[in-house]
Amino acid sequence: MIRVENLSKSFYHQQDESKILIDINLHIKRGECIILKGISGSGKTTLLSIIAGLDRPSKGKVLIDDEPISKLPDIFASKIRAKKIGMIFQHFNLFENLSVYENVTVPLIPSGLPLDDIYRAVDKSLKVANIYHKRSLVASRLSGGEKQRCAIARALVADPDIIVCDEPTANLDSQNSILFIETIKELHLMGKTIVIATHDPLFENLNFKSRIVPMFDGKIDE
Amino acid sequence: MNEILFSNQVIIYLLSESLLFVLLFIAFVVSIKIVIKWDFDSFSQKQFRLEKEAYLVSTITIFLFIIKFILLIYFVFTIDSLSILIAGAMCGAGVVTANEYGTYLLLFKLIIIATLILWFYLNSYDTHTKNYLHMKKKSLLFIAIFISIIFELFLDFQYFTNIDTHQPVSCCSTLFGQLEGANPLPFGLTIPLLLTLFYLLYFLTILTLKTNYRVLYIVSNLLFLYLAYYAVVYFFGTYIYQLPTHKCPFCMLQSDYFYIGYIIWGSLFLGTFIGISDALSSIWTTRKYIKNSRLVISMLTLFVVLSSIYVIIYYFRNGVWL
Repeated sequence: MIRVENLSKSFYHQQDESKILIDINLHIKRGECIILKGISGSGKTTLLSIIAGLDRPSKGKVLIDDEPISKLPDIFASKIRAKKIGMIFQHFNLFENLSVYENVTVPLIPSGLPLDDIYRAVDKSLKVANIYHKRSLVASRLSGGEKQRCAIARALVADPDIIVCDEPTANLDSQNSILFIETIKELHLMGKTIVIATHDPLFENLNFKSRIVPMFDGKIDE
Repeated sequence: MNEILFSNQVIIYLLSESLLFVLLFIAFVVSIKIVIKWDFDSFSQKQFRLEKEAYLVSTITIFLFIIKFILLIYFVFTIDSLSILIAGAMCGAGVVTANEYGTYLLLFKLIIIATLILWFYLNSYDTHTKNYLHMKKKSLLFIAIFISIIFELFLDFQYFTNIDTHQPVSCCSTLFGQLEGANPLPFGLTIPLLLTLFYLLYFLTILTLKTNYRVLYIVSNLLFLYLAYYAVVYFFGTYIYQLPTHKCPFCMLQSDYFYIGYIIWGSLFLGTFIGISDALSSIWTTRKYIKNSRLVISMLTLFVVLSSIYVIIYYFRNGVWL
């Protein structure tokens, strides 16, 4: 499903090179749940961004279903992202002045699907994320947990195979974090491939099959 | 130093061209690297860096096209406005022919715009392939554009530094008039025959565009461009000026004629350049069809309608042909 080979990422400030990721190799099978675990600055988010095709590596490759997403021109990378990858961010990244329903509809606007199909998909993902009852509420009026559920619904609306979550519980209290993990479990049971970058200890003992990949100083620390 | 070089318009124009050149030089260096080192199958650091730099070249070239297009219009406007400084010049025609560089410079600028449009098509095809299939072709074309721009910059300076404001120049009527009964039209054409060919070539261009005969389309576009120039100068223009002896491609750019020349020449050049570039790039990239047919048809139709409408209006107002 996802294959990361000899991946490195550096940033340059004038002549100084900061190595963010160093020679990462990772193979994620279809339906697997991966927890990228590490302290702040260990390179989890950068790795996640490259896997999701939001950023490009300095070296190495990321293959999603044998497609080198890290090398494809933007037009193709965007298509893969829209079709295969759903993203959940630490700060939710919702349109604060749009309703929950509108926020979840947004990713399907460029798809060209008939409106009835779009509405059906939106209703379905709102129900899976358990936020259907708040669908007409403006995003700015939601609580942290509700915003997260709205973000989950948005990530699911295009029915992607892969769900990528960056520090999904960093802005949630413990009760909402547990609820989030329950939703992740449901998605896992639905057969989705899940990649989570987190330093939250709640992810250490999940009650479903998952694999923890520890990261330290830009390397996988196994 | 002459007063031409120190006129505001020329200073702005030459400064803009020179600044643009600095930016282009960066893109030129990257393009050379791409031609030599590009290997899309490699996942090395060098290749990733080259891919990033290739984006830079694309961005610079898009910027270049926009600025070059504006500068071409500004150049035409500048030479037209300089006519008041040169003895005997009444419009841009006199200024362009004030020395031996002007005509070549204007031609060169048009060729550069045409080549940039070709680059645009190639770039568009390239970014729609998964492995940047046309990256090297695109870079080679950019290098050719860069070399043309060096030459253009040389001509720019040669032209503006060698205009003698005290040396009387010939202008429209002398340059484009029928001296001693000589026929100025190409291939010994007469006006009726020129007009017949003009409209026939317009329809042939549209027809070949629709039927996708690309080589025929390029040829008919080129012929149309060539004959349309003569048709405007020697026939349609006289109706714009409402004077049978006034034959000039430049006067119609002036405010007296509501700057209509910019639209007439703009639609002709853009229509034919886009058409030719579209077809050439589709042959070069082995695509089976031409992309922007509607845009070309709209441009050429605008040109033909706009040129013809002056003749029709004149006839309805005066009841005679010129």
